[in-house]
Amino acid sequence: MTHGRIERYLISHGDVRGGEARAALNLAAYFFFITFTFYIVKPVKESALISFLSPSWWPYADLVTALLIGFVVALNVRLLDRVPRRTYLTASLLFFMAGTLVFGYVFDVHRAGAVMTPVIDPSGIAFIIWVQAVVPAIWVYAVIAFAFWTDVFVATSVTQFWIAVNDVFDAHQAKRLVGLFVTGGLLGGIAGSAAAALVTFARVLRIEDLLLAAPVPLALAAVTVNLVYAGRQRVDAAVGDGRIGAPARAGVLESFRAVRRSRYLLLLAGMLASAIVAGALINYQFKQVLKSAFESAAERTAFIAVLFLAILAVSTALHLAATGRFLKAYGIRWAIVIAPAVLLAGSLAVFALPAGLLLGWAALVRGGDKLFDNTLCQSVRELLYIPVPADVKYKGKIFIDMFVAKFATGLGAVLFGALYALRQFAYRNDGSMAGTLAVVRETGVLTLAFLALWLVMTRLVYREYPAVLKKDIRRKWASGDEAVARHVDLDLTLQIFNTIQSRERSSTLYYMNLFNLVRRGGLTPDLKELLGIRRDEAKARALDALFDVGGGSFHPGLEEALADEEFRSEVDLVFLLPAYQKVMGERLEGIAGSASEVDRAEAANSLSRMAPTEAALRALGRLLEDPSAEVVLYALMSAAVHRFPGHVPAVVRQLARPATRPEAQSTLAAYGPGVVDALASALRDEAEPLEVRRAIPEVLARIGTQDAADVLVEALARRSEDLEGALVDALFKVRTDRPGVRFRDAEVRPALLGLVRKACDLVLDPPGPEAETRALLDIRVRRAFELLTLLYPREDVVNAYQNIRQGTARTADYSLESLDILLDRELKELLLPLVEDLPAEERRRRLRRALRLK
Amino acid sequence: MAQPHMTIKTREAGKVVIFDVEGEIRRSDAPQATLHSLVESQLDRGKRMVLVDLHGVSFIDSFGIGQILASYTSTQNQGGAFKLCGISQKLLLIFQITMLHKVLEIHEDCDRALESFD
Repeated sequence: MTHGRIERYLISHGDVRGGEARAALNLAAYFFFITFTFYIVKPVKESALISFLSPSWWPYADLVTALLIGFVVALNVRLLDRVPRRTYLTASLLFFMAGTLVFGYVFDVHRAGAVMTPVIDPSGIAFIIWVQAVVPAIWVYAVIAFAFWTDVFVATSVTQFWIAVNDVFDAHQAKRLVGLFVTGGLLGGIAGSAAAALVTFARVLRIEDLLLAAPVPLALAAVTVNLVYAGRQRVDAAVGDGRIGAPARAGVLESFRAVRRSRYLLLLAGMLASAIVAGALINYQFKQVLKSAFESAAERTAFIAVLFLAILAVSTALHLAATGRFLKAYGIRWAIVIAPAVLLAGSLAVFALPAGLLLGWAALVRGGDKLFDNTLCQSVRELLYIPVPADVKYKGKIFIDMFVAKFATGLGAVLFGALYALRQFAYRNDGSMAGTLAVVRETGVLTLAFLALWLVMTRLVYREYPAVLKKDIRRKWASGDEAVARHVDLDLTLQIFNTIQSRERSSTLYYMNLFNLVRRGGLTPDLKELLGIRRDEAKARALDALFDVGGGSFHPGLEEALADEEFRSEVDLVFLLPAYQKVMGERLEGIAGSASEVDRAEAANSLSRMAPTEAALRALGRLLEDPSAEVVLYALMSAAVHRFPGHVPAVVRQLARPATRPEAQSTLAAYGPGVVDALASALRDEAEPLEVRRAIPEVLARIGTQDAADVLVEALARRSEDLEGALVDALFKVRTDRPGVRFRDAEVRPALLGLVRKACDLVLDPPGPEAETRALLDIRVRRAFELLTLLYPREDVVNAYQNIRQGTARTADYSLESLDILLDRELKELLLPLVEDLPAEERRRRLRRALRLK
Repeated sequence: MAQPHMTIKTREAGKVVIFDVEGEIRRSDAPQATLHSLVESQLDRGKRMVLVDLHGVSFIDSFGIGQILASYTSTQNQGGAFKLCGISQKLLLIFQITMLHKVLEIHEDCDRALESFD
């Protein structure tokens, strides 16, 4: 895809990816034109309300809007349900274009007192007369209708814009791009309010004439939104997983149910409602101060226009300089709380202020509320919706943004109206700043209550947010150990193979193994068939008939014999007989030194059932050093039964041999916690063969005690490149198998950061060809994630890693978002650029910055 | 009769690494570079699709099974795919008895096994 100059600029300087640039730019332009329109219409509305309605009626005007907007929302939902998204958004904009022209016409008639529009058709004269008669009669209602129409425009247009964003981008993309969108909106607001302020002061145009200019930006908004939806396929192809689903369809009741069914959406609704009520009360405090501070309506209007221009200018500057950085650095966790906390502190200040500073205070608090609303709150609010499933989000968002928001505005109006009446503000406020201060302070108590509620709701929402985010992040694959353990008894399987193998070596060894199998209940009919036991039994029974031995059996059934409890007890008793031990004790030394490998293997096997006499242990020690791997195998199994401390060095030495390593590991693990110190010494001892040291972490992981884990962490802290993989794998195994084991942050974090920094070095200074570097990086990143499980919830880390590696674009983005919440700043800055889908140069730039490199 | 020595040859077919194993996989004949260590070195190279061709294998003892299972576990832990092919009928029977066929993906025909990675 070719990119224009602005798109190329955004790709190279902003956090915008190639496939997203055009859609992101069009959406930002769409938002620009909407806010531009709103801020040139808003002064007209404010001016009309101030001129034709008493300020004491403002709450009622708000209440009327809050009550009526529900019907508009219902219509909006119905249309969204029935009309394709692109068509609906275009039609909405055309409707508002027509509305501005109609209201412009009505304002024009009212101002001039006559219809100025040329009429060609003589029958139109009746219409002219009708309009001239009706407009003055219904003027107050026309103003209220215009105010209501303005609120409808804002509510529907902004919601439609964010719905378009959610249609095109997913959570992580939106988080990166939200800054661009908000910038577009803020610039539109500045341009619009600057145009309005220019009109107010320079009187270039009559303020009503702005209405006739409004269709122009709205027409441009219609063009951009069509470009967005025309480019959907290209964005989708660039992303690669068909993330743009079919538009959800919902009725009003269904939207309400969607919110009611979701605890998260209910909390979001509560948070938004408390914020809006607090904002409405702050606005009433502000208006009361303005009423006292300015006698002239024109001066008051000018002050409002300039204040809003200043708010937007500061919002834009703050947004460009801080919002994105704040979100990246502190995440949603702190971004969500800063607005209510600051406003709470600001609102408390009114109780300590003199009356002379009231106007400044009101402008700051009202400005602060709008400032946060334009920047951080707006970004955070939209981000909080992202992890909600698309259909629920669509339904819930409409209900919350329109019904809940308007309900909260209405509640604010009712509360203020009630307070105004009950506390008799109209009589107590004599118009002086001192009288106004008292009234503002009383309103402030209510404001503080809702700000405190807002603050509490932010905590509740944030507590719920990660769980909602993680719902879509599921495991992509089970670990190998889990998969094997689910279906296979590993020890039994290995014993079966040993039995099969021993059949060709020695009948004694074979029967010993069969005996062991029967004791474990592992001699299944299939296995008997495989081993030929049934065929042997059939042959033996045939011989019984040949020799005519009557009812007795010449060759008793092997299965019955081995399975017979009495038979097994007898075998065990033989091994315990003092005479047997004496005779075998004298013989064992000789057998252990026998030239016959089979004899030695049989002895090593039988030692597992013998009493641990001095002679038996001595012979076992010798067999553990046997040159034959098969003899050592049986000796290791016997050593695991007796667990004699004196055998540990010999068993440890067997870790060096690939042929005996797995059994040596099992034997040492069978020793349990008592062998941890010996293993720790061997692990530290650089004179030990590397193969031995590499095999020890697995043993410690299988022992899995706190001491064993501490030894592993201590070894990891020594940063041995040769042992790193084995140590990390072992620690991950401990975390998986032993959730009760504790890892101290101070001990794990340095090693973890060291490992992540080494991964960063691979990106910044590749040691070889790209494929080789990529493979090395993958290993480091996997190890880093495995270590992360020691400090953070294992499931969350594993799921995030697996989805980043093999998930869809959407689950990968959700995983990055969940890591963004989970990890601290330093880890985030180092680790996320390694796993995010970034252009190479951007990845290097972010890593250099994280590592504080030039 | 002398036991045939085990040999392991490594080749690649697209993204798949194929290990051609011949001889008997026995503990007594275990080479220093075991099947598991060879698989791990391929995983370290970023190769996560592994096929072990057992056409030429006449015998496997518990050491060999341990090697196969360890190779499977390492591959699976990294989100890769580990498959076997060319396995003898007797060995398949043992795998079924020990339930290993529930864990390991086993193909009679190696070309089909290779195609199944796509």
